[in-house]
Amino acid sequence: MNTPDTFDVIILGGGITGAGTQRDCAMRGLRTLLIERSDIATGATGRNHGLLHSGARYAVNDAESAAECIKENMILRQIASHCIEETDGLFITLPEDDLGYQKTFVESCRRAGIDAQVIDPDLARRLEPSVNPDLIGAVRVPDGSVDPFRLCAANMLDAKLHGGQVRLHTEVTGFIREGDAITGVHTVNRQTGEKRDFHAPVVVNACGIWGHRMAGLAGVNVGMFPAKGALLIFAHRVNNLVINRCRKPSNADILVPGDTVCIIGTTSTRIPFEECDSVAVTPEEVDLLITEGAKLAPSLSSTRILRAYAGVRPLVSADDDPSGRNISRGIVCLDHEQRDGLKGFVTITGGKLMTYRLMAEIATDTVCRKLGVDKPCTTAVTPLPGSEEKSYEAVAKRIWESPSMAQKAAAARLGTSAERIRSGNRLDDALVCECEEVSVGEIENAVERLDVSTLTDLRRRTRVGMGTCQGEFCACRAAGLLARAHGCTAQARADLQDFIQERWKGNFPIGWGDTLREAEYTQWVYKHVLGL
Amino acid sequence: MRFDTVIIGGGLAGLTAGICLQQEGRSCAIVSTGQNALHFFSGSFESVEAPTPRMSDLFTQAGIAVHYSPGVRLMPLGTFRPAALSLSDVTLAETPKFARKVLIVNFLGYQDFFTTFLADGLEREGMSCRIATLDLPETGQIMSSPSEMRSVQIARVMDRAWEKAVQEVRILLKDEDTVILPQVFGLNDSSVPERVRQAIPARVIFVGTLPPSVPGIRTQQLLKRRFEVLGGTYLSGDEVLQAHLHDGAVHSIVTRNLGSHYLEADHFILASGGFFSKGLKSNPFQVSEPVFGLDVRQAGDRSAWYDPDFKADQPYLQFGVETDEALHPLLGGRPVRNLYAIGSVLGGTRPELGTGAGLALRSAFAAADGILESPVIPNEA
Repeated sequence: MNTPDTFDVIILGGGITGAGTQRDCAMRGLRTLLIERSDIATGATGRNHGLLHSGARYAVNDAESAAECIKENMILRQIASHCIEETDGLFITLPEDDLGYQKTFVESCRRAGIDAQVIDPDLARRLEPSVNPDLIGAVRVPDGSVDPFRLCAANMLDAKLHGGQVRLHTEVTGFIREGDAITGVHTVNRQTGEKRDFHAPVVVNACGIWGHRMAGLAGVNVGMFPAKGALLIFAHRVNNLVINRCRKPSNADILVPGDTVCIIGTTSTRIPFEECDSVAVTPEEVDLLITEGAKLAPSLSSTRILRAYAGVRPLVSADDDPSGRNISRGIVCLDHEQRDGLKGFVTITGGKLMTYRLMAEIATDTVCRKLGVDKPCTTAVTPLPGSEEKSYEAVAKRIWESPSMAQKAAAARLGTSAERIRSGNRLDDALVCECEEVSVGEIENAVERLDVSTLTDLRRRTRVGMGTCQGEFCACRAAGLLARAHGCTAQARADLQDFIQERWKGNFPIGWGDTLREAEYTQWVYKHVLGL
Repeated sequence: MRFDTVIIGGGLAGLTAGICLQQEGRSCAIVSTGQNALHFFSGSFESVEAPTPRMSDLFTQAGIAVHYSPGVRLMPLGTFRPAALSLSDVTLAETPKFARKVLIVNFLGYQDFFTTFLADGLEREGMSCRIATLDLPETGQIMSSPSEMRSVQIARVMDRAWEKAVQEVRILLKDEDTVILPQVFGLNDSSVPERVRQAIPARVIFVGTLPPSVPGIRTQQLLKRRFEVLGGTYLSGDEVLQAHLHDGAVHSIVTRNLGSHYLEADHFILASGGFFSKGLKSNPFQVSEPVFGLDVRQAGDRSAWYDPDFKADQPYLQFGVETDEALHPLLGGRPVRNLYAIGSVLGGTRPELGTGAGLALRSAFAAADGILESPVIPNEA
């Protein structure tokens, strides 16, 4: 059967694992469909530090994960250069920490293949002026930062360039079975209500923590361990190197710079599955993150906080450790035919943002074996769309000759794909978001090419509303553009409400000082002036 | 420097009180940081059901054109809201279906005016709409800079080029009975909105844009001018750093620009606004009033400050300076006898005075009356 609704493989989940798996499958010539209940990167993919791990954090306790991390780290620098920033990182020892741990740490790093250099605390202070000046030891490692939204969007774009199809805001309501085999899915579009069936001989469950529920829907059990992690985004980029604590992994001991901001995290709390859809950051978590963060970089205590957020780690439960921290972050790929006698169903889970490509490779190998396809994986050597050239400044120059600040920012966000942005006239060049310098042209590019249907989708693709004003005005401007592009104003108005609510959700846990000032202003502008 | 009354805050509340006092011959100084809530004014005076003669006089004498007719107004995102006392820029209609055919006009490249939202809102009420854009060389010039197409910049151009815009609208107009334009007319010349109305052969409705609010800035300027014409001293771009209290009364205040030249007065008025205007300050543990350290009504635990639903009424907006019946704020539980608190710094602590603009006006009149009723203290100097 070869109808428009029939594919070789259906991938469930629009996080980085799903997007990476679709890209790999598509590049090996399979006809692919990706289905996502909400938008791309709405789960753990978009709710973490954005740390390009060197693997050093895992080196002492989990050598396998550490080795995977450094290998993937080096690969991502080549294939996803427009999504990452090669900042390097420090592991610092503070007076209250055991300096003896440093030796174990460095030895473990080297065994895992991580270039860990012990440096003088003085040099560390010079390299990273924001670091706690009381440090008594420092190790330099090849950490970096990665924009998970961009990475996810680029994987999906490449899958589409290889013939893949993507259906966002589409929920799987059940599986289609023939005897002991899964042969497709029943879905409903959450925006239009349209019900539709899709068929494929293999379905891949790449739903992160929601994979537990998805497996249950298919009639098999995948034991998972939802562990919430809370993080704070600060309004300035106080550090240029990632700062970690050189001790056993604990709460709030990583500070990652990214674009114009920096992020402190994280915590680890076991939560029930029912809470995965609505994780909230508590005042205690906020206080802990601020106190511990200031130990890494003291200036954090006087830096404005932009937002609090939390994600749920999709850990596969292995033992009864209540913190979830000692569980291996290893990759788990389950062929349910071998495990449960259910044909045509594969679960890919565990792992980390860092190892998404490897997870995708393993999952795709399994899919290909089932389909009898014999094609090698090439994702480790093929740059993602946007990353064909390494220097975004050179890209910007090639496209625009003498690029503006906004054009440079666009090239940094999109890499070589920035050449698709309409520009060079005053209408397309007008700025929608002044904090992040996003132009009308870039918004329209995202709407046309990157599967944007709501304002919050747009935020994930372009950084509109992610800057210091958190979308005070640009949300409205972007909503206006979306309304025009989609011709549905009622939807755009509802979007605007969702966007403002989403923003408030990240703001009230940190609602004091300037954040409360902004909140009062937003109440005034949206309720009284605009009449939303 | 010595005045009868020193007012902290130059928004609607502070200026109203200052005008009332100057009119009665009391010398006033207003210390203003420069920006205030009038810059984000919607154009309708909230919680004012019907204007009192005193309000009407205030506006008339300041040259602020207002009108009053309970009805509905069209909001920037195409919804309708009940409104009563409003600037004359704002059109008040009896029902949402106020027209048959509407022409919505925007300036090319202006993103802060929401034509599609407006059209959608009007069409749902049964009106038919057409959207058109004006591409004038005058606005084209500011458009060449990617972040200059904002309300005030366009309004500056319109103060001199409004007639050209009107010409273009006349050409665009077909059989529509109503024209909707963004509120970017009459920033410095308050006669412009009415002249635009007269010059277009259809009903003209001005609808709000993203802030800053052009009619709001104009209102602020007119009130300030009126205050200064009456002899008041308006200290703009200054900030109160400290207050000196003696024997339960304020003796003087210290400002950033005046330094050791303290501002002394018989009476002081605190009209410093809410959180955004920095009249109220907060840290993770409490909300405070930064100039005098006055008692602030608040919920104890931070988690009780907010409703997680943005749409809901937010508890923190009810926080404000506690006062006695005469609007003397409390310090350590005792009223400061020559100090008055007015406007948003009261938050929701005085519900009988209303909210927003209504609270500002009513509390300003009440404080001015309190001062005028008290005996004039002979100047020591």
